[in-house]
Amino acid sequence: MKKTITIALCALLAAACASKAPAPSASSGEKKKFVVGYSQSNNAEPYRAQLNLQLQHFLKKYPDIELLPIADAKQSSATQVSQVQNFITQKVDALIVSPTEPAPLTAAVQQACDAKIPVIVLDRTVNTDCYTAFIGGDNVLIGRKAGEEAVRLLPDGGNIVELRGIMSNQPQIDRDKGFREAVAANPKIKIIADREGKWVKEQATPIMQQWLAQHDQIDLVYGHNDPMALGAYLAAQAAGKADKIKFIGIDGLAIPDGGIRAVQLGQLSATFIYPTGAQEAADTVNKILHGRQVEKKQVLGTTQVTKDNAAELYKQFDLSGQN
Amino acid sequence: MTTVLAMRAIGKSFPGVRALDGVSLTVAEGEVVALLGENGAGKSTLMNILAGVFKDYEGEIEIGGEVAHIHSPKDARRHGIAMIHQELNLVPELSVADNIFLGRERALLDRKVTEARTAELLRGLGLDLSPRTLVKQCKIAERQLIEVAKALSQNVRVLVMDEPTSALADAEVQRLYEVIRDLTGRGVAVIYISHRLEELEEIADRVVVLRDGQYIGERTGINRDELIQMMVGRPLGEMFPRADGATEGEELLRVKGLHVPGDRDTGRTALRDVSLTVRTGEIVGVAGLMGAGRSELLESIFGVHRPSEGSISLHGAPYRPRSPKQAIERGVALVAEDRKAQSLVLGNSVAFNASLSSLRRYLRFWTVDRRREGAAVEQQVRALRVKTPGLRFTVGNLSGGNQQKVVLAKWLLTAPSLILMDEPTRGIDVGAKAEIHALMSSLAAEGKGVLVASSELPELLAMCDRILVLCEGRITAEFPRGQATQEAILEAAMARQQVTI
Amino acid sequence: MTTMKTAPPDPAPPVKAPGESRMRRTLSALGAAQAYIGLVLILAVGIATKGEMFLNETNLTNAIGAFASRGILAVGVTLVILTGGIDLSVGSLLGIASMTAAMMLAKFSLEPWQIVPICMAVGALFGFLNGAGTAWLRIQSFVMTLAMLSVVRGLDRQVSDNVSVGTQIAGADGKLTPQAEAFQLFGTPGHNLFDRIYYPVLAFIVVCVVFHLILTKTRFGRHVYAVGGNPTAARLSGVNVTAVTIAVFTLSGMLAGFAGPIDAAYSASADPQAGQSFELDAIAAAVIGGASLAGGKGTIAGTFVGALILTLLDNVLGLNAVSDNWQLVIKGLIVVVAVVLQRPDLFKIFRGGSRS
Repeated sequence: MKKTITIALCALLAAACASKAPAPSASSGEKKKFVVGYSQSNNAEPYRAQLNLQLQHFLKKYPDIELLPIADAKQSSATQVSQVQNFITQKVDALIVSPTEPAPLTAAVQQACDAKIPVIVLDRTVNTDCYTAFIGGDNVLIGRKAGEEAVRLLPDGGNIVELRGIMSNQPQIDRDKGFREAVAANPKIKIIADREGKWVKEQATPIMQQWLAQHDQIDLVYGHNDPMALGAYLAAQAAGKADKIKFIGIDGLAIPDGGIRAVQLGQLSATFIYPTGAQEAADTVNKILHGRQVEKKQVLGTTQVTKDNAAELYKQFDLSGQN
Repeated sequence: MTTVLAMRAIGKSFPGVRALDGVSLTVAEGEVVALLGENGAGKSTLMNILAGVFKDYEGEIEIGGEVAHIHSPKDARRHGIAMIHQELNLVPELSVADNIFLGRERALLDRKVTEARTAELLRGLGLDLSPRTLVKQCKIAERQLIEVAKALSQNVRVLVMDEPTSALADAEVQRLYEVIRDLTGRGVAVIYISHRLEELEEIADRVVVLRDGQYIGERTGINRDELIQMMVGRPLGEMFPRADGATEGEELLRVKGLHVPGDRDTGRTALRDVSLTVRTGEIVGVAGLMGAGRSELLESIFGVHRPSEGSISLHGAPYRPRSPKQAIERGVALVAEDRKAQSLVLGNSVAFNASLSSLRRYLRFWTVDRRREGAAVEQQVRALRVKTPGLRFTVGNLSGGNQQKVVLAKWLLTAPSLILMDEPTRGIDVGAKAEIHALMSSLAAEGKGVLVASSELPELLAMCDRILVLCEGRITAEFPRGQATQEAILEAAMARQQVTI
Repeated sequence: MTTMKTAPPDPAPPVKAPGESRMRRTLSALGAAQAYIGLVLILAVGIATKGEMFLNETNLTNAIGAFASRGILAVGVTLVILTGGIDLSVGSLLGIASMTAAMMLAKFSLEPWQIVPICMAVGALFGFLNGAGTAWLRIQSFVMTLAMLSVVRGLDRQVSDNVSVGTQIAGADGKLTPQAEAFQLFGTPGHNLFDRIYYPVLAFIVVCVVFHLILTKTRFGRHVYAVGGNPTAARLSGVNVTAVTIAVFTLSGMLAGFAGPIDAAYSASADPQAGQSFELDAIAAAVIGGASLAGGKGTIAGTFVGALILTLLDNVLGLNAVSDNWQLVIKGLIVVVAVVLQRPDLFKIFRGGSRS
């Protein structure tokens, strides 16, 4: 019995490895096909799931590039370091990393760099210059744009509540910073409360319910991501106040449950697309592998999603059915 | 002889109970003083005070002529007092040496020294064990002696032993006595708590009797009847009330050629070719040394272990229980050996425990009818004279004898036709013991069959119509009532081959 | 403690008639009265600081509603804890049930009354596997359910492609489909079942009442306590320990399945991360309510109070605009205080009685 199970498990493991991880060394003889590894910090965030999909999609355009199965660090820096080292051992031709956190991944990126493997750092930075290219959005900029939109929506001033991401996350810090800088333009605008919603919709709803009980006048909700803004929207809708309050989110994912649709439905006044950088990353990898020059630091802009452009943007970014 | 320990006018109260009141006790060097009393008489409280279990108490303790303030186990240890509790305080997963030096290790363990010292101690006790043996691999008798070794390693002056023989077979008891005599020869004072009067005759120099928290008296010569009377405060009558002459009932249980595999890991003895019968109205005894397979036999009949060969029939019909549940459904009950570990859910109430096996009788639709349940339990509790403040009282807070009565109540409520009893009177006081013996007799008189295993031969001799003797998993002898003697049984219990009579 | 046994005073007082101490029995069924001190304190603080803002139907409904799915998990976890086990997988089971509910709605347009039994079956299936691993393969429940936590979360993420699935499905006319409209009654904020009854709160209370009755009135309930109190004695008393063990894990899984649609409706979407770390809240509620991780001790009433303590505490702190960091500190301290308060030997501890 035990033996059978063990054998079955081994077979399963072997099959899983064989089907998913073509050994890079096998192709080393002719070197016609380039092998690329990608270490993602956490597959389970919708934004990152979208990024994975897009990267796979855009890399397919290059028949001589093969993307190994995406390694999911599940939010653990330790896991991610070992995944990166694994890719180095496998001698991939290029490495893409979306670091969980800058400091722990710095050494691993340095190792890859020492092994002469080109590294593209995607989305979050590392504390070393020894990489080939950085591609990422600018959260301070996005926060500022959100703030500018808030100023536009509240010309006579008003009360804002802010749902923050996990306090220690860099995007949270940047999105807060940019936003506050921008709303300072109108002294009649006040941020009357802010709390940690941990990026989660379910956390945001009760917080908004409490705010609605505490404050008579809330004019605008700023969520550091769309799910939190939508969680607050649910609470306001239940209290019959959704019409009087404006909601601004960030991320703008083109999925049925995402921010672009919410803008289309009028739940959010606006959201700001946080660019995945997948297309740029695919493009950059291709250039690197064929020995062409690339820009070391590629900071991506954002696109504001409004009711007018939502349908079009959704179509542009929707990848369902394309992979 | 010089007095080593004097406890004067010791008193102790718990909420609602005056556990000890003005009790005095003196012990001289090299003396064995037995402390006698029913459960709840205050023996354990007195000894716990001596061992530093309680922070405060009334009265004064003198050790070696000087006043000693004992408020913690550490104080007690410093004064050379060691106590061996009934439930041995050893850590099963640690080695013998680690157990002996537990709590006194250097910050950096020095295995060589402790193991050498342990080997020396074990040799002194005639115990053939490696210091590295894990305690869980040791037999109960060995663990007992390991506790003694632990006490000796602390330069003990007063050694308290609480029911040290309750889990030992007769041969092992003799071994323990030798150790005690050796200790007293070296000047150690021993305070010995036991319910077994026959033991006291052999080992004690003096017997002190407590009752209801008070000092009743002391005797140097052992007069059984007198001591019992001092303990219970009333004449006891006959201790084993079974009348002669079992009626020839019909066959209730027949075990034929039963083989049950053993288990080396848990130390379970294998049963080999066991055959026996129990008739209605009959009390059949099972004798044997520790590890002879007494418990295994009863448990196999109760569906705990699966036989590999052989057959059992009940009321003439084939009987192959695969779990205790099925055995109970066929009218079989087992009063297990260890009532705390095997019989009772100690944190729950008297009613919870008593009705646990017979709940289906009180079901109304899907729910337990508390009224009917309570009535049935109450009837049994009254009939067995369980001393409890109420049916909702936590079983763990009852005395040993009353706990055992709750176990009996549980089984009687299932209306069994065959009752298996494993050490039914171990560790309970004399009064409750007599009541349980009377109950066994009346069950037999009602036409139920009783199969009882016991390591107390006088109990078996007095109660049983027939006695089977087990040795190493085989039946080596069978004695009808009247032909059995302690000597003959012991001989058969140590025989490797079958003894014919 | 050692062998110290204080026998009840002699001679035996007559046994009390079973009906006599109804009051005491009721109290003991509801758990130690001290367990309520924590709840009373929090209510008092809430009323004192925020008065009407705290003590009104909407706020209390919101507060309890936010915790209802975790509260239902806590009931299942209490069953498992009572048998001496632990169930760490309930958060993942809730996650996959919530995803199942959203997908059934989005892909197959099932009616809510069809969705609930399917979700419960999904939860019960994984719960059964937990029980089977624990009872038959003798894997410690901590390990078994920890593994299940991981397995089920992985499956959840796989079936959802890591993308959250919304439950407010619009039909061709741009309005919500009738099924999606009905699904909102499971707990989308602002949607009440009948006039004013918020389904998550109702469901939580009903689950508590049902399982309170099961534990106190049925043979199965007795067996649960017996298995947790002393498995050997239970087995030798004719209790089918294996069956009881499998049953409690299955029920725990089933309740997680039942809570899944509530969680999906509450957020109007099923997130692949939904329910993460809910198991800790559920265990905390049970423990605050007096359940002993050693088994055999605990009540559903206690767990209910424990859940209320956790969620009302969160509410009171939020209404008073206490900062997030201090909220964490205070919550941790309250858990310790609540557990200490309900020790039956509370006063002994402070009198300094040795408990060796």
